Amino acid sequence: MPTAIITGSSAGIGKATTLKLLNAGWRVHGFTRQLDGAAHANYIPHQVDVTNESAVQNAVAAILSNEQSIDLLINNAGTASMNALLLTPGSVAENLMRVNYLGAFYCIQAVGKQMVRQRQGRIINITTVAVPLALEGEAAYVASKAALDALTHVAAKELSPHGIVVAGLGFGPIPTQLTRAVNAAKLAELNQSIGRTNGTAVDEAADFIFEAIRQKNLEAGSIHYLGKI
Amino acid sequence: MITRPQSLALVLKRLHHLGKELDKAELQNAQESTRLFGDGSHLDSMGLVTLIADLEEDIYRECGARVTLADEKAMSRLTSPFRRVNLLADYIHEVVNAR
Repeated sequence: MPTAIITGSSAGIGKATTLKLLNAGWRVHGFTRQLDGAAHANYIPHQVDVTNESAVQNAVAAILSNEQSIDLLINNAGTASMNALLLTPGSVAENLMRVNYLGAFYCIQAVGKQMVRQRQGRIINITTVAVPLALEGEAAYVASKAALDALTHVAAKELSPHGIVVAGLGFGPIPTQLTRAVNAAKLAELNQSIGRTNGTAVDEAADFIFEAIRQKNLEAGSIHYLGKI
Repeated sequence: MITRPQSLALVLKRLHHLGKELDKAELQNAQESTRLFGDGSHLDSMGLVTLIADLEEDIYRECGARVTLADEKAMSRLTSPFRRVNLLADYIHEVVNAR
């Protein structure tokens, strides 16, 4: 049975993708802040703060005491904050960087070593169209996701000789907790600009991720967007 | 706990396997004085990553200790524990027994 770790698996894209993998016969270990998520025999939630390096390492070690391999890591856990650059508190920018970039960094390090031992694996980092569009009003968020994209590119180069594919999948605004405070007109304008007039539903995003996994055709270091970029 | 002869044996055994995989006789027949990383060594950065990842798992299987070999402590040493086989064996012995 193929095994995956998905961060931020308790809600939104993470939960929807978890369900698709479970239905396709995967076992999924979810990293969440609360022990919740999909109700399924092959879903195992772990209470992990991805910004805590030792917590991530301990969780991966615990998983490996029962699993022979980890075939897939999806770095989905993320947070967002929309604010003018000059009005964004430093603490907000720091938290965005910790969750969106460092969280993925710690998970790639912990899981990547196991994938090196296996000489195979796939890592998908969930990113956003806000980076290539350089969206105003999202400076701290965009910078944190740009750091994640840079990590994707370099990790792909370093890990591909070990048989590990690292790639990014990016989305426009999706109606989740992350976008609930964003102005509706602003969301509509953004969706229009990427050719997704009706926006992107959580399930559409999960389908996009699942198809990328199923087709096994992700190019190392590539970032694919659902929408016109 | 791990003895110094045990830590050396782990390194040499792992290098033997890696040497086969990479088709490098120098690694298959490694000795305490064999250079691992740096000038005149037989491992590139990819080989070093593979060696460390594999050794961390070997250590866990051998003595039940989950250790991180490439940590800040290792990186801040004047003499890198990854320079030669004997230094790596010393470092594993030290790290595992310090737990």
